[in-house]
Amino acid sequence: MSASQSAVRSRAEAVKVSRTFDWMIMFTLFFVILGGYHVHFMLVAGDWDFWSDWKDRRLWVTVLPIMGITFPAAVQAVLWWRYRIAFGATLCVLGLLFGEWVNRYFNFWGWTYFPINFVFPSQLVPGAIVLDVVLLVSGSMQLTAVVGGLGFGLLFYPGNWPVMAPLHLPVEYNGMMMTLADLSGYHYVRTGMPEYIRMVEKGTLRTFGKDVAPVSAFFSGFVSIIVYFLWHFFGRWFGSTAFTKIS
Amino acid sequence: MKLIKDRIAKLSFVALLVTVTAAMFYAPTASAHGEKSQAAFMRMRTIHWYDLNWSKDIVPVNDTMTVTGKFHVFAGWPETVAKPEISFLNIGIPGPVFIRAGSWIGGQLVPRSVSLELGETYEFKVLLKARRPGDWHVHSMMNVKDGGPIIGPGKWVTITGSMSQFTNPITTLTGQTIDLENWNLSNIYFWHAFWYAFGIAYIAYWARKPVFVPRLLAMDAGKADTLITSMDKKVGIGFAVATLLIVAVTMQSTNEAYPITTPLQAGLLRGMKPIEMAARTVAVKVDSATYRVPGRAMQMTLTITNNGDSSVRLGEFMTASVRFLDPAVHEDETGYPDDLLAEEGLTVSDNSPLAPGQTRTVEVTASDAAWEVYRLADLIYDPDSRFAGLLFFTDEAGNRQMVTIDAPLIPSFI
Repeated sequence: MSASQSAVRSRAEAVKVSRTFDWMIMFTLFFVILGGYHVHFMLVAGDWDFWSDWKDRRLWVTVLPIMGITFPAAVQAVLWWRYRIAFGATLCVLGLLFGEWVNRYFNFWGWTYFPINFVFPSQLVPGAIVLDVVLLVSGSMQLTAVVGGLGFGLLFYPGNWPVMAPLHLPVEYNGMMMTLADLSGYHYVRTGMPEYIRMVEKGTLRTFGKDVAPVSAFFSGFVSIIVYFLWHFFGRWFGSTAFTKIS
Repeated sequence: MKLIKDRIAKLSFVALLVTVTAAMFYAPTASAHGEKSQAAFMRMRTIHWYDLNWSKDIVPVNDTMTVTGKFHVFAGWPETVAKPEISFLNIGIPGPVFIRAGSWIGGQLVPRSVSLELGETYEFKVLLKARRPGDWHVHSMMNVKDGGPIIGPGKWVTITGSMSQFTNPITTLTGQTIDLENWNLSNIYFWHAFWYAFGIAYIAYWARKPVFVPRLLAMDAGKADTLITSMDKKVGIGFAVATLLIVAVTMQSTNEAYPITTPLQAGLLRGMKPIEMAARTVAVKVDSATYRVPGRAMQMTLTITNNGDSSVRLGEFMTASVRFLDPAVHEDETGYPDDLLAEEGLTVSDNSPLAPGQTRTVEVTASDAAWEVYRLADLIYDPDSRFAGLLFFTDEAGNRQMVTIDAPLIPSFI
């Protein structure tokens, strides 16, 4: 067979090869994204995602969407501008969550015996689906950044609240009040993590009283818009074939 | 020549495999917390733990034990270590093998960070509930912000039983009694599985059609507009609307199910109550101090003045949790860890009772292999070559009095 001849002999065979190629790429892409996104997320969101006693209504709500929208924006850029595929953000987040669960189950629970109800990951799927759908419907990077990015930030807290609320029940413990999440952090000893490292409830949003989570979510959404733009361009740059073109 | 090269390459590869395999088979148990590797001056001049007691050596799962004692926050705290203005009373164990059921400083519960004062002595207690069977090294420990962990002495404790029997019942302020060990687990699993399945369903919609090659070809052919159908958009909108509805409804139903929730609790606890120490009646001046490297011994020349009304004798010198005792004056009956106890490690040139009002200059030698084993001899390589420790004097009635010392140390290499 010469180089100019096709590797397939019929349309049916071409379709079959194409589908095989689809699944191979999807499988590989899933794990490549999982690896990169997981490392990135552990480094920049880290403890806010690891421990339930870090998941507060200020910094957790603010930091995680901002750090979480990065890879979805970049992968969306590649998949949309090269293939018109609108599931980049969802694929990223599913990859991240798969990696997070493997880590939490085998590492945090299997090796060190921290209860899963103390170390489960945060939920990002609702925001990712909205981000993908905004791109699908609008076909616009700007609209996706503004509407989708804001939505990504805003949906984070309510999307997680059903699993977080039971851990925020108050308890009186030896004369002090704390939440069940605080108590988990106190009970399940982390030798390398003293309490003062925990960055929760810090900030100056005191005039909003107890309703600070929506304010944090809006702020997170605004910053997510900017981060979306930045990482979208990273994605387009990495998705370029300029490096492989033969002159 | 090529044959020789190939053989060398092959043998090198075999040697590498053998080495890697051997390394995999040799996996010794990690049995301590790095306390020996911490700089000696840091262990000698920051927190001095003493009068420690581990209430049990063997604890069944679900049973409790305490670690109690005192710690003195050294007034001569080294400049190179951040001051303990934000500190946390921790416990040095390999993860949550025990749960920390309570910890107190001066009677105050300290689930959060605290502020400590230099020169003060505090009483502490840590209540532990056994969770995971095994032999565990249990240390007292103080974390100091920007200073690092300052680990105290450790003792082996055995937990017996089965972890599957462990329970952690807690009654909330809303009247519910729950087991914190598995509370909320099914809820977490359900919602994560639900959203994961939802995400897969969204991707599955796209993956049922050709994904990469035909779409790339169409894009290159300028037919991008044909790749997104109106059905695609409708399905996408359906997923987005469903997502928003599910989030809104579950938020509402969660708030109805848990109408009372509180934010995470945080903040520094100040005003820890130190022990009101009786006025010291013994004064000690360090005239000189030498560490003899070959003999693994510290020699001090001390001028001791007894200003009290009872004669005293020097019974113990303690530094970095290592205790050097003069058995003629004081014997340990607390079950202190053997490796940290030099039962006959302290010799005093004249340790006859020092009468009230009397002053005496004595040569004191603290010698034991612990200087090497606990890497305290490395003090001579530290940037600030000073040592510090606690001296314990015993009076006629058997009362012990603690006196701190802090002085330059000169190494002797011959």
